[in-house]
Amino acid sequence: MFEFEVPEVDYTQYSNRQLVAVPLVVLALSLAVIGGWWAVTGAPVDRGIDFTGGTELTIGTNATLTNEEIEATFDEPVVSVQGITTTSESTYENQYVVTFDNSANVSSVRSAAQSAEELTLLGSGTTSPLFGGQNQRLAVIGVGVAFVGMSLLAFAFFRTFVPSIAIVISAFSDIMIPLAIMNLLGIKLSLGIVAALLMLIGYSVDSDILLNNHVLRRSGGFYESTYRAMRTGVTMTLTSIAAMTVMAVAATLFGIGLMADIGLILVLGLTADLMNTYLLNVTLLRWYKYEGVNR
Amino acid sequence: MSTLRDNWRVVLLVVLLLTSAIALFVPGVPPGTSADGPADESGPAASESEQLTNLNYGIQLSGGTRLRAPIVGITAENVNVTQADSSQLEQTVADELDLDTIDVRVRPVTSERSAGAVEVVTKDVTHQELRTALENNGYQPTTVRDGVTPETRQEMVEAVDEKLRTSALSGASVQVVNVPGGQHFVSITAPDRDREELVDLLNERGTVKIYAVYPGGENGSFVREEVLKRSQMSDISAADREGVGWAVYITVSSDAADEFSQRMVDAGFGDGAPCGNYNHSDIQQTTAGGSADPALANDEPGCLVHTLNGEVVTARGVTPGLGESFASGEFANDPVYVMQTGSSDNPAETASEIELNLRAGQLPAPLDLSEDSGSSLDPALAERFKQNSLLTGLLAVLAVSLVVYVRYKRVEVVVPMVVTALSEVFILLGFVAFVQYPLNLSHLAGFIAVIGTGVDDLIIIADEILQQGEVETGRVFQSRFRKAFWVIGAAAATTIMAMSPLMVLPLGDLSGFAIITIVGVLIGVLVTRPAYGDILRHLVLDED
Repeated sequence: MFEFEVPEVDYTQYSNRQLVAVPLVVLALSLAVIGGWWAVTGAPVDRGIDFTGGTELTIGTNATLTNEEIEATFDEPVVSVQGITTTSESTYENQYVVTFDNSANVSSVRSAAQSAEELTLLGSGTTSPLFGGQNQRLAVIGVGVAFVGMSLLAFAFFRTFVPSIAIVISAFSDIMIPLAIMNLLGIKLSLGIVAALLMLIGYSVDSDILLNNHVLRRSGGFYESTYRAMRTGVTMTLTSIAAMTVMAVAATLFGIGLMADIGLILVLGLTADLMNTYLLNVTLLRWYKYEGVNR
Repeated sequence: MSTLRDNWRVVLLVVLLLTSAIALFVPGVPPGTSADGPADESGPAASESEQLTNLNYGIQLSGGTRLRAPIVGITAENVNVTQADSSQLEQTVADELDLDTIDVRVRPVTSERSAGAVEVVTKDVTHQELRTALENNGYQPTTVRDGVTPETRQEMVEAVDEKLRTSALSGASVQVVNVPGGQHFVSITAPDRDREELVDLLNERGTVKIYAVYPGGENGSFVREEVLKRSQMSDISAADREGVGWAVYITVSSDAADEFSQRMVDAGFGDGAPCGNYNHSDIQQTTAGGSADPALANDEPGCLVHTLNGEVVTARGVTPGLGESFASGEFANDPVYVMQTGSSDNPAETASEIELNLRAGQLPAPLDLSEDSGSSLDPALAERFKQNSLLTGLLAVLAVSLVVYVRYKRVEVVVPMVVTALSEVFILLGFVAFVQYPLNLSHLAGFIAVIGTGVDDLIIIADEILQQGEVETGRVFQSRFRKAFWVIGAAAATTIMAMSPLMVLPLGDLSGFAIITIVGVLIGVLVTRPAYGDILRHLVLDED
């Protein structure tokens, strides 16, 4: 069995500039991707049917069909056809999720699937463009309020500028990096992903608060405190990553989209958090401890 | 006793675990469930799946349909109309816009309403048309907006609720969802129905009409007159009585009974009417007289015709005795109108359908299903989602256990950690069962989030207490525990802060996710995580 002990990083070898360079470059790249996406597509991320409106059908069949054959069943334009892994217990050998844009009428695509001989309609979900627009507005408000609230709490806990802003910047970066990767992987924003982003705010702050607390409020040298905080914090984040990886993989295989989305975004975000906390946050704290305090 | 007091955190945890077990597994404990089985007389599918626990599953995990759609309609606000003028205005507006009065509703100024309003519940009228119609009648609405009045929304919920209940849909529910910005959606959830069945049920604007069809029109044609309206009925019930067969018994309200009798007499039913040759395919009986195969003869009195959604269900005559009671006014003493359904294909079904439609009536306004944002899921697929997501959750817990085990390599640290995290989930399940919150996929994600933050916090506690070896005394333990708790409390506060907007904003399933996460974090911080500290102290102190 493999062993794992959080390694002691010798931070003294590196200058502040060297340490912050990596997370800042990654953040800048992410912002560039998101900004570029915004400029080209008109939205910072690709929005799924939860936000644009549209319809999703889950169909089962015992026949082997190509995507084209499935698309041909419907008069309406099909955005995507996605196969779902089935197990031996499933009633149907093959299952697909067929997505339509918001021009499709849910009743008519449902009846098309019901009347198709080889297909069985297993489920449908639809969002009207009106409702999708509301969702989008509310999601932006929700994430905004959550982020501002978290920032205010961070300042209330530590009451000093640099350590508090370190938490805020690292949480911001933790959200932006997965969003950028989502764009690159072609994953569309869904309500589940919004939930994951909010969860990420909660998770990301945990390890930051732990680090700040050890460095600022405990006795002991900077490097010793940092190492102690790292031992705990890295273990925490790794357990969460392990749990979320398993959830993402299992949910993808089972075709449970919502849980797969949440899992994937958290894996990405938590990995980003490891980097941000122990490169960016640590460096800001070191600067504050050795230079900032005396100014 | 003192041991109990010293370990009050562990005691509290055990008490909560037991309470949750009762809430989860003892039938009838959560309010709204009955000891004999699931709450409302659910179908067989629901009772099977709910036998094991008191958990309530949403449509994503048990199948069914949810519709979420706005109500069709526009409303003119601040129309200064009094109670006395309201029905007159309803009629004129309807005439002017060429609508049925049922689609126009005037909300006059009353003690509950400081400003009157007029609403039109059909898609065919523009804001400007409604404004013009009102202005032509001397009213000056301040604004005309999309949507209907709060009263109509309330009536809508009541009408849908009535329909759901009378149609024996188990576990169905309806509510209005308010979206900031003034939008309102009606959200209807029906387990074990697919979308088409639910839409049919709602779309049935179920109009039952009772007509008298009798000769006397121009050129020997027949007159069709609605003789008894829904508003004139006080009680409706379908029954199978001896000598009558299946029939709907309609009690005419006392103030309408005399008027009804008079109408019947005027229509020529005073001496009874046999109604022999009614042509079912032609309500108006226009073929009578002229055609080769005459329906009713011109000299016959006529028929009472009952229609459901415009189609004739039954056509009956009037017995001489009943005709006499109309003529003498005796009918008002026992004003029960009997609508026999014996002539239809399925008398029992027809009778209950008529009863249902008369009782539930029609929805006060149609739902705009083109703006529907709902979902529908096959129960078998939902069942698989349920099993698979449970499996996913267990795998995630296993992964967590493995990581903490390789990190600590001490069974006495790791086992309580995993057990504590699981007990958090168990208590949360108990809570969910108790409040009968319908579980959906997003809530299961919330459970996994709770396990995640829970284990994080337990790691903080474990590291704090185990640092640099031994914990010599209770006091050292207390101080370390308090230090660890500061971090945990701060982290919990931020998680709650991050989730709270979702709890308030109507973002569908996400609200449930946020509620589960927040309640889970609270249970964790207040009960289970401190208890883990206590357990760990014993295990660690015992070693020394």
